[in-house]
Amino acid sequence: MQWIIKLDESLARASMFCGWVACVAMLLMAGNVFYDVVARYAFSEVSIGMQEMEWHLYSVVFLLGIPYALRTDGHVRVDVFYARWGSKAQAWVNLAGALLFVIPFAYLIGIYGYDFALDSYNMGEGSGDPGGLPHRWLIKTVIPLSAFFIAIAGLNMATYALRVMTGEKQYEGEQSGGGLA
Amino acid sequence: MIGMIMFLVALFMLMLGFPVAFTFGGVALFFGVFAEGMDLFAFMPYRIMSVMNNTVLMAVPLFIFMGVILQRTRLAEQLLTSMGRLFGGLPGGLAISTILVGALLAASTGVVGASVVAMGLISLPVMLAHKYDKRLATGTICAAGTLGQIVPPSIILIILGDVLGLPVGDLFKAAVGPGMVLIGLYIAYILLVTRLKPETAPAMPKDDSISRKKEITNALLAIIPPLALIVVVLGSIFTGIATPTESSALGGVGAIILAIIYRQFSFQMVWDASKDTVKVTAMVFAILIGATAFSMVFSYTGGDYLLEDWMLALPGEKWGFIILAMLVIMILGFFIDFVEISFIIVPILAPVAEALGINMLWFAILIAMNLQTSFLTPPFGFSLFYLKGVAPPQVRTVDIYKGVLPFIFLQVLVLAMIVVFPEWFGMSSSY
Amino acid sequence: AQDTFTLKMAETWGPNFPIFGDTTKNFAKSVETMSNGRLKIRIDSANKHKAPLGVFDMVKAGQYDMGHSASYYWKGKVPETLFFTSMPFGMNAMEQYAWFYHGGGMELMQEVYEPHNLLSFPGGNTGVQMGGWFREEIKSLDDLDGLKMRIPGFAGEVFAEVGVNPTNIAPGELYTALERNTIDAVEWVGPALDLRLGFQQIADYYYTGWHEPATELQFLINKKVWEKLPADLKEIMRVAMRTASYDMLVLSQHANAEAWANIKKDYPNVQIKQFPQDIFQAMYNANKKLLKEAAESNEQAARIIKSQLDYQEQSRAYSNISERAYLNTMGTVE
Ligand code: NA
Ligand code: NA
Repeated sequence: MQWIIKLDESLARASMFCGWVACVAMLLMAGNVFYDVVARYAFSEVSIGMQEMEWHLYSVVFLLGIPYALRTDGHVRVDVFYARWGSKAQAWVNLAGALLFVIPFAYLIGIYGYDFALDSYNMGEGSGDPGGLPHRWLIKTVIPLSAFFIAIAGLNMATYALRVMTGEKQYEGEQSGGGLA
Repeated sequence: MIGMIMFLVALFMLMLGFPVAFTFGGVALFFGVFAEGMDLFAFMPYRIMSVMNNTVLMAVPLFIFMGVILQRTRLAEQLLTSMGRLFGGLPGGLAISTILVGALLAASTGVVGASVVAMGLISLPVMLAHKYDKRLATGTICAAGTLGQIVPPSIILIILGDVLGLPVGDLFKAAVGPGMVLIGLYIAYILLVTRLKPETAPAMPKDDSISRKKEITNALLAIIPPLALIVVVLGSIFTGIATPTESSALGGVGAIILAIIYRQFSFQMVWDASKDTVKVTAMVFAILIGATAFSMVFSYTGGDYLLEDWMLALPGEKWGFIILAMLVIMILGFFIDFVEISFIIVPILAPVAEALGINMLWFAILIAMNLQTSFLTPPFGFSLFYLKGVAPPQVRTVDIYKGVLPFIFLQVLVLAMIVVFPEWFGMSSSY
Repeated sequence: AQDTFTLKMAETWGPNFPIFGDTTKNFAKSVETMSNGRLKIRIDSANKHKAPLGVFDMVKAGQYDMGHSASYYWKGKVPETLFFTSMPFGMNAMEQYAWFYHGGGMELMQEVYEPHNLLSFPGGNTGVQMGGWFREEIKSLDDLDGLKMRIPGFAGEVFAEVGVNPTNIAPGELYTALERNTIDAVEWVGPALDLRLGFQQIADYYYTGWHEPATELQFLINKKVWEKLPADLKEIMRVAMRTASYDMLVLSQHANAEAWANIKKDYPNVQIKQFPQDIFQAMYNANKKLLKEAAESNEQAARIIKSQLDYQEQSRAYSNISERAYLNTMGTVE
């Protein structure tokens, strides 16, 4: 039992790390867009490289945010029945979903995403627009990377469900929704 | 046929409560691998890449960021409660304020994920704190947030312009009237329902220590800063300083500046706002990715050809055609994404409509109104998921499903108005 | 019985994109008819595969058997693909087809595509593309300095050399961006396609083209798939592709002329303008400089550029005494 707790906590660190990177990218992106608007309007300065950087950062935000949201239970659920069920039943739903849905889905995106990025690397792909960013493979690599971390987070969902089943942990309050609003 | 079975299975699976995004993805995976083999999923990186490249969607994290900062600094609360105070003893003030703020946001973005979540962050906590009925509150927010799809700029109108070969400017102009009528009807509905059931939307408590006049002055003063922020966002678009997408970044930076002015700023606050933003953004995009896997399997297993066959069976007489076409789009909207409808269904309907002498601009606005509703219709209405994703636990999916029903009805009503009285909206049904 | 084949084709365009989409539909129809149903083409448009600029990769990897797109989209992946669409101050459609079919153009194109397991064939021409919609008249080089324009690719680099700021705007936001002066100018295609985006409603100055005098689309085919086809079907494909290309050039001429007549009638605000000579000269020099840099970067690019320039020189000499002389003549009489 102890090893599941250890595994669960180390897996969680991977998702938290993704979240940290995504948060940094989020702030950089807001600054990047703001800078581009001001430079264009006030100084008639346009850099396609900086414009492309916007969507590079934005992609990092959501691709690495997804595993983070998995660990922090930020992904929305339809709670018509779920909310009424006990922890055990919820844990079963999460265990089955993680193993049957999350991990296989991430696996397929991961393997095909790897080929996708590798091909870009082999061709030395860059932007086709004037002043655009080189090394397009870098951002394409974030797809399989995200898939890898989603799979980790899926495994993590399963380990957490096991902890809940043994009664050692609880799902905090009702799941679904960050309750941000 | 596989596609149809897949929808039923997905519906059943969603009810189990596993995250929506991965339920879509997982169900798509089983059906896709079963019908076409693993290699079908080699298309997924391309589809994800097309989301990454779609810079219009950048409005989602940026608007959410603005919303989170406004919420964390309590500026949103200040805006809405002050607006609510202007209504004095009238119940429903907060809901009407929500509709008005939603209309302003709608004029600055065409991305539903952005406006619904931002409106949810801004106004749901305030309405709940003031003892609003959960259904009225969530229905109002979903409706207000979805206004962005009919009030220009709007993605639906841009896509329809492309598919139907109509100038975007004409569509934007034609959509203003229906958008205004919709906003007016939402407000009228709230006034009516709160008159009948005042307990669903209590009026702002009166502060007896100050006069009504003083109360109004205070409220106006409090409204100005946050409202000015929204006006700056809008103004930056109208003056061409920023594109609609970029304007949302100005909103985020502007919200931070307001926070500094109000001594609410700290680096911790910004970092926490970033964390919230990432979490909610990830929720929205996971749904988009799960849904794109779903629609991929649907169309590569022949679902699009099946839909085409159905469309070709519609009647060849003007009013019968219009009514059935609208019904079919509405029903498909319960299940299928508006982009798929625009690209699969509309191209088949268009030549028929043209042959019947139907005014294509009018037809396009009808479709846009209709597709807007698809964001709100259970079980797969994306606005409902997005709002649920940011709502506190006591707000249940069922509350949202029930809360939007009156607003769906109002949308259908406006749709019917445009069908029957196109001249009210400055259009004609035939050319 | 003879084997039957179905080729899945991904196109960069949406399902009912005019002219471009007609080209693939015509192609598919004639292949099926000519082969008596033995060869079928299934067209998937961008709304289905969601990867308008993924056509190269998808055909290369075999997810699709063939594609319909434009070669210069792959410039970021394989720089030499740039040369097989249209070059600023380059050949017109007639000259360029002659280069492809008789001047060694096809061979050079296959040489560029073959290492990627692909074959490329001409896929239809838009004719001379218009130089773009401008909100303000351009009277001198100074007016171009700092001008914000949506102009992608190599033409954007040429514009950048003379002071323009090439700017990325999502297609869905182009109209609003131009209307509200977020950008000052937009380059798109020509009257028939520009009309749909409504630029004539918000910009008065429609400039004549120089940057894409003969934009040629392409049919991309996965080489392994091509090799599996029997000789007769290959020939049917070749003929159908060539006919589709010709048909598209003709259709472009027809549709653009018709659309231009409509713009003239409905939008009297629109004025046709040509850049002044000093701007053309500056852009011509910039173009030359960029081509020289490209030629120095590698041997293959150098050969392609030389082949094109040599062919253009010879072919233009004849165009001058035929097409140009004739159009000039027509300008002298009423
Ligand atoms: Na909008
Ligand atoms: Na062009």
